[in-house]
Amino acid sequence: MDNTLYVGVSRQMILQRELDVTANNIANSDTTGFKVESLMTSPDPESPPNVIGNPRPIQYAIDHGMARDFSQGKLTQTGAPLDLAIDGQAFFTITTADGDRYTRDGRFTIDPQGRLTTQAGDLVQDASGGAITLNPQGGAPSVGRDGTVTQSIPGATAEAVIGKINVVRFDSLSSLSKQGAGLYANTASSAPQPAPDAYIHQGMLETSNVQPIIQVTDLIRITQAYQSISNLISSTSDLSNQSVQRLGAVQ
Amino acid sequence: MMALRTAATGMAAQDLNVDVISNNIANMNTVGYKKQRAEFEDLLYQDIQRPGSQSSDTGTIVPTGIQVGAGVKTGAVYRIDTSTTPTQTGNQYDLAINGTGYFQILLPTGETAYTRAGNFSVNATGQLVTVDGYQVQPAITIPQGTTSVNISQTGLVQASVAGATTPTTVGQLTLATFFNDAGLEATGNNMFMQTAASGTPTLGDPGANGIGSVTQGYIESSNVDPVSEITALIVAQRAYEMNSKVVTSADQMLSTTNAMKQ
Repeated sequence: MDNTLYVGVSRQMILQRELDVTANNIANSDTTGFKVESLMTSPDPESPPNVIGNPRPIQYAIDHGMARDFSQGKLTQTGAPLDLAIDGQAFFTITTADGDRYTRDGRFTIDPQGRLTTQAGDLVQDASGGAITLNPQGGAPSVGRDGTVTQSIPGATAEAVIGKINVVRFDSLSSLSKQGAGLYANTASSAPQPAPDAYIHQGMLETSNVQPIIQVTDLIRITQAYQSISNLISSTSDLSNQSVQRLGAVQ
Repeated sequence: MMALRTAATGMAAQDLNVDVISNNIANMNTVGYKKQRAEFEDLLYQDIQRPGSQSSDTGTIVPTGIQVGAGVKTGAVYRIDTSTTPTQTGNQYDLAINGTGYFQILLPTGETAYTRAGNFSVNATGQLVTVDGYQVQPAITIPQGTTSVNISQTGLVQASVAGATTPTTVGQLTLATFFNDAGLEATGNNMFMQTAASGTPTLGDPGANGIGSVTQGYIESSNVDPVSEITALIVAQRAYEMNSKVVTSADQMLSTTNAMKQ
């Protein structure tokens, strides 16, 4: 008799979490390089073969993972020489105090030593794992489609090659763990691979791939579903109240 | 329920976005103004189930964990340094830079500031100064009795003095370039200061390798595009509204929960 209540509650807990995820998507609709997320839900345990005569097990709703849509966000022009956007399925590699991190957010700057860093001051890696050090006396750096950084140095006739920005891809994107501030950590044992098919655009940034209409529709769906489960729980509770009153009434 | 707080961070971010856009619109007619843009980044994530954590004794792992984000924060307010077409004024001390580069201004504190606003004038002692009366560097003094001043594309300043047949050279303007313009710190009054992120300035004559040339009688208008600002304002307002819808939804769900127990 109480099973209906517990199944209903299992679904309501997930709906609350779905609302949290949708709230985060909407809050980050303007965040550079943000990838939209949704909660994956399923019945638990999965439905067994139906044997006539045997009772069917109770199935609860559980969330078993997070689906991240890594599709390309739109590129917007900013004109800043250190704003980089990736066109293709790849990530910049960042050296942080906690190890290598990966990001699609290319709003870079330089530190007092002339090294290319993120806004938080973590180093952007070149193809050999080192830093990309620009000459502060040189001209504006130019970044090629493959990530090669060149800069004009006073006194030199040709543009000097500074390094190549390390752009990598993953065999499985689902093993990436979000760290906040646009950074991802790799939780898989396999190392990321170079991504020659991804192109870098200088002076551009990638917007989030959140589609507002889908998020708002989700909001409506979540509140409606929550409401209907709530009604289900109420009627079950009424039913049990009535049965107690009727069955327990002294004739 | 985290959704309430998450939506609040989203509303705060859009609030700041509107502040930045309104500053752009307010400075639409400011000489040499460069439009700004607020950039956001996601906040920390709560690991409900970490990706890569073990799901059994035999070593199977959770392929995709459950991580719920806590909202958004402002990453940076960016300046967009695109150039604009110069506007003709006819004033002989109005200078526009065609290309990259900044004029150097000596502040009363002794520091050097950098500006794209070339609406200069001459003070009582004949020095070339900004509208605030700060000296343009290198110092240029226009002699007494000058009838007209000619400033060449390469920054050579020549004065025609009454009675003389040939103009006299009174100075040479130099421009400063930075390798990361976005790293300059805006201090108001159209002035920028150098920072560690902008790099040290490279000085050079206008028109020389990569540095912009100077056009006399023109000023640089702001690069604020009213249409895109209004569009950005609409987008920001709608995003704000959408975040408020999340608050309403969360509130509805909580009240539904409350209504279950009569």
